[in-house]
Amino acid sequence: MTAVTAVTDHRDHSDPTGGSGEAHGSGPSGTSGAEGEPNPGRTSRATGRDSGHARVEDDDQGSEDARGNRRPRETDGAWDDGLIARRVSQAGDDGAAGDTEGGAGGEGGAHEGRGGAHGGAESRGGADASPGSTLYETQLRGRLDSLRELIGLSRTRLDRKTLAEAGRVLDEAAARRRLSEEHTVVAIAGATGSGKSSLFNALAGVTISDAGVRRPTTAAPVACSWTDGAAGLLDRLDIPMRLRRRPAKSPDGEAQLRGLVLIDLPDHDSAVAAHREQVDRILALVDAVIWVVDPEKYGDAVLHERYLRPLAGHAEVTFVVLNQVDRLPGDAAEQVLDDLRRLLDEDGIALGEYGEPGATVLALSALTGEGVGELRDALDQFVAERGAAVRRISADLDAAAARLRPLYAAERRPGLSEAAREEFADRLAEAVGAEAAGEAAERAWTRNANKACGTPWLRLWRWYEARNAPLALRPRPGPQAPVDEEAAARQRVEQAVRMVANKAAYGLPAPWAQAVREAAARGGQGLPEALDEVAVTAGPPAGRPPRPGWWPLAVLVQASMTILQVIGGLWLLGQVIGITSPNLGVPVLLMSAGIVGGPCVERACGVAVRGPARRYGAEAERRLREAAAACGKAHVLDPVGAELLRYQEVREKYVDVIGVGRTGGVTKLSTTSR
Amino acid sequence: MLQKGSKIGHSSHVVTFDVRPQLLDALSVLRDRVAATRFPLPVAGAARARANREELLLQLDDYLVPRLKEPEAPLLAVIGGSTGAGKSTLVNSLVGRQVTEAGVLRPTTRTPVLVCHPDDQHWFSGKRVLPQLARVRATKQETWRGRRPPARPGGRALRIETVDTLPPGLALLDAPDVDSLVAENRLLAAELICAADVWVMVTTAARYADAVPWHLLRTAKEHNVTLVTVLDRVPHQVVTEVSRQYAALLTKAGLGDAPRFTVPELPESAGGGGLLPSTAVAPLRTWLVHRAHDMGARRQAIVRTANGVMNSLGARMPELAGAVAAQHAAALRLTAAVDEAYEEEHARVRGRLQAGAVLAGDALKRWRAYPLDCTPEELLDALVESLGTLLLNAVAAVDERVEEAWRHEPGGLAPGLTVRAPGLENAEHRIGMTVRRWRRVLEEHAEDEVRGLDAAPDMRRTSRGVAPDPEAVAALLATALLGGRRGRSAGENLAERIGAHGALRLRDRGGRLLTSYVDKVLSVERERRLAPLDALGVHPEPQAELIAALSVMQKER
Repeated sequence: MTAVTAVTDHRDHSDPTGGSGEAHGSGPSGTSGAEGEPNPGRTSRATGRDSGHARVEDDDQGSEDARGNRRPRETDGAWDDGLIARRVSQAGDDGAAGDTEGGAGGEGGAHEGRGGAHGGAESRGGADASPGSTLYETQLRGRLDSLRELIGLSRTRLDRKTLAEAGRVLDEAAARRRLSEEHTVVAIAGATGSGKSSLFNALAGVTISDAGVRRPTTAAPVACSWTDGAAGLLDRLDIPMRLRRRPAKSPDGEAQLRGLVLIDLPDHDSAVAAHREQVDRILALVDAVIWVVDPEKYGDAVLHERYLRPLAGHAEVTFVVLNQVDRLPGDAAEQVLDDLRRLLDEDGIALGEYGEPGATVLALSALTGEGVGELRDALDQFVAERGAAVRRISADLDAAAARLRPLYAAERRPGLSEAAREEFADRLAEAVGAEAAGEAAERAWTRNANKACGTPWLRLWRWYEARNAPLALRPRPGPQAPVDEEAAARQRVEQAVRMVANKAAYGLPAPWAQAVREAAARGGQGLPEALDEVAVTAGPPAGRPPRPGWWPLAVLVQASMTILQVIGGLWLLGQVIGITSPNLGVPVLLMSAGIVGGPCVERACGVAVRGPARRYGAEAERRLREAAAACGKAHVLDPVGAELLRYQEVREKYVDVIGVGRTGGVTKLSTTSR
Repeated sequence: MLQKGSKIGHSSHVVTFDVRPQLLDALSVLRDRVAATRFPLPVAGAARARANREELLLQLDDYLVPRLKEPEAPLLAVIGGSTGAGKSTLVNSLVGRQVTEAGVLRPTTRTPVLVCHPDDQHWFSGKRVLPQLARVRATKQETWRGRRPPARPGGRALRIETVDTLPPGLALLDAPDVDSLVAENRLLAAELICAADVWVMVTTAARYADAVPWHLLRTAKEHNVTLVTVLDRVPHQVVTEVSRQYAALLTKAGLGDAPRFTVPELPESAGGGGLLPSTAVAPLRTWLVHRAHDMGARRQAIVRTANGVMNSLGARMPELAGAVAAQHAAALRLTAAVDEAYEEEHARVRGRLQAGAVLAGDALKRWRAYPLDCTPEELLDALVESLGTLLLNAVAAVDERVEEAWRHEPGGLAPGLTVRAPGLENAEHRIGMTVRRWRRVLEEHAEDEVRGLDAAPDMRRTSRGVAPDPEAVAALLATALLGGRRGRSAGENLAERIGAHGALRLRDRGGRLLTSYVDKVLSVERERRLAPLDALGVHPEPQAELIAALSVMQKER
């Protein structure tokens, strides 16, 4: 459409990729303590970049960082993934720093680094000298295997597209493994007119690729291999036979650049979209890249936003050369080179300066030959190491892991707290009415006891009252419904399941949270019916409730009180009639004792009955509550727990993918750091 | 009404266009309509529509309206192009003095510089064009060779330089690059290009095939603006070949008629500070001065650009209107998802109420124990709480469904919508309040009924004058209403207490009350769920308004 649209759209498009590269390093890195119980000792943490610092014994700054960052990190309460601790320990191992107090690597502060990917590459530094296959065995194989298992484990939970991307890394790694390890495939990429082909020719020593003024010049990739046996690699890149060349034979440089396969790419920024596609395709397959920039174009957005930022993790297999320095007068070349370094740093690309691993930045002129020798030397050394393929795969793996991070890394420790389980049980108990049942049982028991121990007169009076009362007001037992279907409150059960599922899923990555919710919902489907049954089976037992031992005694005493009253009354009656001798004292005494004693006994029983009644009610409530809780556990909590366990398992695999798969690290760190 | 310059001829000294005030009115209405559109929902094309809207506003504010209002204002030529193409050097060379810093670090120009004759300064120092850029005083001898220019706080500014070597009636604007890493530069450049009468696109021998400038060129063609291209920094040995290829590319893109100028690469062009010899830029300078002085050429340049912009409105406004319609459609779909969920859940709640689901669990246990081991108050408490849970559960279920449905809607990912409305706890509180209010009203009804019973003793069937307890009546009533089949005996009991007639009346009133409260709860929650969507203010009206404004404008031209 229009200019503005073009620019913004472009930005929209490229930002996420650029962003993801950075988000990687600055992800949650809270308190340490890997899988087990929180271990206060494992407070050291660092992103990969800083572990790198630590490794080159840049300890002072590192420890300062650590101290500065430790406190706030601990208080933010995020769950430590253990991802960082592992890598730190790894760096500590490699660096073999003498003071193990916290591990040298552990001192690295958690920078807002761009570093996960880089850190992975970093740890390789120690084994630089070993040939490629050993590197692969020691470092990469475990991680690749873990990634494969990770994909297998999460296939049912994650969408196919996300996993396919990670699977592609595996495929490419396997494909590269099958091909020659002796060769290192290096692509020359850059903008149109930057002088890619000129540099290519300068390195090869002959004019292989047309370097012209017509833009864009090169339309198809051209290959040049210094040694034989690269046919398989070039087949993989899909470079036709006629575009495969050999360099000029030079008498002295016979041994130089052995094993190098150089690819001259088309531009990535011209109006011809097909060129861009080719560049993207080949960049994904080569072992290393030489980015050619020139003084006019080194600040182009396309280069930085579309290519360099997303590939920031690949710094170690990246060369950036500033071509055409012959066009710059005086010290301008140095200025431009510095500015280029600054831009690269802003892109998140580690620069290989001062012996640190990272991208190599050079200034040269393919036209005059100035600086080409340096590049040749750097390339020679790089190719001789034969580590590029492994580093590239490793960087790819890091990038893939970084992309997967939001799918696996949790914000907090997954699992249900005791409080949440308790709350769930409470809600279920409410759904079956445990508390109400308990109270009802207690009151019924009290009522029965009072009835049994009350004075007959009072009972007689109450009966009379009740008889005369209007029909409707007469207390009567509730309708004796035999068994209630749907006795458990559906809405309460549903709500309880929903709440507990939300609590369990809280903080989990979206797909796993969804899985947990689904597990809970599935379990919750049969739950109300099961609770209905519980309400029947675990309800108050039919028949008479148990009675305390003193009860018959109380009844006896109450009866004797009544008998006393009757005897006293009869005696008095006999005196009135004249059957017995007049003796007022004793019968009156007897009668009044009975009259006073009856209510007293009733009152005393009323007090004495409270305790057992409460116990009886509590027992009824507990039975119902426990049965409901057991039901809930079997139906909901267990499946949810299984799902959480599954997530945990997958997460551990993910940690294996991220960290370097050596298991000793964590234990070592946890024992050495208090 | 704009007329082709050729018809008027060269004679008139003061340039006047016959611009009718109605056209200006129509344009200002159109501008307001465009400004009023919003695209908050991230549906397909929304980002494009937002950019489109921004650009339309810029073109209207920065170019079209000021140009039509004051046709005699100086001609503004914007020098735009890639970073490192040599725009600043070109401007400096055109005016013969260093007015804008050129350098080797990319991107060099961050603050645009406007160069004009001192007599013309008043046209640009005000807010006539580019009102959103703060004017900065011309600073003498401010060079940053070898250093980064200090970042300007607040960023966006326009520096105005006056030189008398430039003829009056012509202003040059040195724009930032269109393709460097600094995003603000790119946006600013696009903005400045919108304000131009003449676009001067600068490219180089290394750049002429770059994708980004070509994009701009195509845009220029679309808008039919007055366009000049400059092929800069061409090494001597390849001048002919490169310029021939460039011409071929331009012709292929349909821009063959745009004037082309070639500036060779000279030692001065790389050095940063130096000016190119005047011979190198003479043809371009002559062309520009001719545009400024010759009335016919000037009018032609202006009319072409202005007409181009107005013509482009004919395609861009309907596009904007279409995007508005898409927004509205997306909003409707979101609303429909909520409505559907609430309707279904409402039906489910009604079903549950009829089935007596409220009288379950603890409420059921209370009812079984009533009246011997349970007070009416406890029974009412349990029932009310159970009813509250039923409603809360319904709302939570709807929430889940809506969330699920919105996740699959493109519009449902709008930033305002994904932030969940503050929690269910609040819903719990609100529902609890409503349910308790229902209980109070129910109790009042029961009291009324019992009092009525007292007042009319003949209606009573009680023989001994014992008035039934209002609390018990309320509890029985609630049980009868909420208990479904299970609560039938409560209804019978109620009838025994206050008479069949009274019981019927009471149940009727209570039932209506229950329905209205349940409806109220659900509709309140529904409103709250829709509130963030409503707050986005997506309406269908702007669509028609945009089209109407466009047709008015087209009629007035």
